[in-house]
Amino acid sequence: MPEAAISVEALAKSFPPARSGWRTFFQPFEKPTAVALAGVSFEIREGEALALLGANGAGKSTLLRIIATLLVPTSGHARVAGHDTVRDSRAVRRRLGYHAGTDHGFYARLTARENLLFFGRLNLLSRLAAAQRISQLAEQFHFGEALDRQVRTLSTGTVQRLSLARALLHQPSVLLLDEPTRSLDAIAAAEFRRFLKSEVLRSGRTSLLFASHTLAEIELLADRVAVIDVGRLLACDTASTLKRNTGASSLEEVFLRLTGHDPDSSGGEHVQ
Amino acid sequence: MIRIIRELWLFFWRDLSIARTYRTVFVLEAIEALFGAAMFYYVARFVDTPALQHALPQGGSYFAFSLVGFVFLDYLNAALDTFDRGLEESRDTGTLEHLLITQTSLPVFVAGSAVYPFIATTLRIVIYVAWATALFGFSLHAANWLAVFAVLLVTLLAFSGLGILSASYLLLFKRGNPAKWFFLGVSSVAGGMLFPVSILPDWLQLVARLNPVTYALDAMRASLLGGADIASLWRPLIILLGFAAVLLPLSMTVFAWSLRRTKITGTLTHS
Repeated sequence: MPEAAISVEALAKSFPPARSGWRTFFQPFEKPTAVALAGVSFEIREGEALALLGANGAGKSTLLRIIATLLVPTSGHARVAGHDTVRDSRAVRRRLGYHAGTDHGFYARLTARENLLFFGRLNLLSRLAAAQRISQLAEQFHFGEALDRQVRTLSTGTVQRLSLARALLHQPSVLLLDEPTRSLDAIAAAEFRRFLKSEVLRSGRTSLLFASHTLAEIELLADRVAVIDVGRLLACDTASTLKRNTGASSLEEVFLRLTGHDPDSSGGEHVQ
Repeated sequence: MIRIIRELWLFFWRDLSIARTYRTVFVLEAIEALFGAAMFYYVARFVDTPALQHALPQGGSYFAFSLVGFVFLDYLNAALDTFDRGLEESRDTGTLEHLLITQTSLPVFVAGSAVYPFIATTLRIVIYVAWATALFGFSLHAANWLAVFAVLLVTLLAFSGLGILSASYLLLFKRGNPAKWFFLGVSSVAGGMLFPVSILPDWLQLVARLNPVTYALDAMRASLLGGADIASLWRPLIILLGFAAVLLPLSMTVFAWSLRRTKITGTLTHS
């Protein structure tokens, strides 16, 4: 049986309480009490796209950051191509492309091209390969005219495209995207989805795990949808199966019923 | 090895490219160096006496003594300050997480942030010395350059360990640089920067003898002003190398542990 691209097993994450003043000195050593993830398990096959659907604070970003090796889980395991994200983080990073939804993390006084070149080369691309890939992605994401401008002069949407381009630069086998179309206008968002569908996912070699609040995006891109609420995985299946199992006519209705927010349901039944 | 050098070069190229966008800073630093050299020259003219010159190591002028002390202070400051400043900037610009998920190893990531600041500090010191030589008669004719570079190298290695410990402190507690505060504070009194330690009371001389800055500074003055060669500087060089051999691996271990703690507490990007 082929190795899962991503395997998450009984993953739990809790954070210590936030402190201020002199208590800050004890925070790094305090016991974690605020639960962000509670025993989440699923697998993603090679070439599969899985969407994380959940309200703000449900644990989607925490899950993505654990797989991206930026957080250490409290218990359980996350593996990328069989490599543990804690014990073998370098092997995991070799396979990852990561886009964080909230901050874009570029050097404001470097140009877009210089930024992409720097990160591309740190991901072991040769200068020539990085330059070619930057031109290719700039054309696909329509930021060619911005390449030689300092990042501080670019619009939020353009920086968002740059960030997505950086995640794709070294052609990773696993792509983690946290709200990928959050700051994009409608046209750019549609183009990006088309690009993901036709260029990245069509090859069948890249696996995608993404968090999104845009249900149309999830329906277009995801083979399966994982519904998360307060750190728990409520369901993980294809959109059509989720609809059938919950008797819902839309993904929105599925989400509301599963999370118990549906005004028409009595308490909300949980589908496993 | 080639990969490590290539990655260090990338970090240097990044910082140089950013620095080039602030061109006036270079000019202002050159002017600041002129005023700095002039200040030490006129302070020396004011306080220099034959008795003072006799009391100084190498029996030179107070101008040379204080200028070398100040130049060394700049290096020490760079070693203690560079790592946590680089980390703070990465954290505040949001690039830290993106750097940590590249293929770069942790030691290269840490060392990479220091390459440009160390080179920039060296350049600033060259400008200082150039002004002092051209305008104020600072003499370098006795310098043993091989020994000077050896002393500088082991000094940077020795004090970089403290700088990395400070960066670890910053990772955990988000603000403050205790190593810089402690070493610059202690060394400004008991390190022989602007006056010889021989004028201190006995107990402070003991502190000075325990302070590696004293050995580094003595070796620097001996090689730069007195022309001492590496063989004659074996004692301070061994002490500094011993300091580096203990502190560098220790500091990297502490840094890796601190990074892991922030990944556990989820505070990697917190400021």
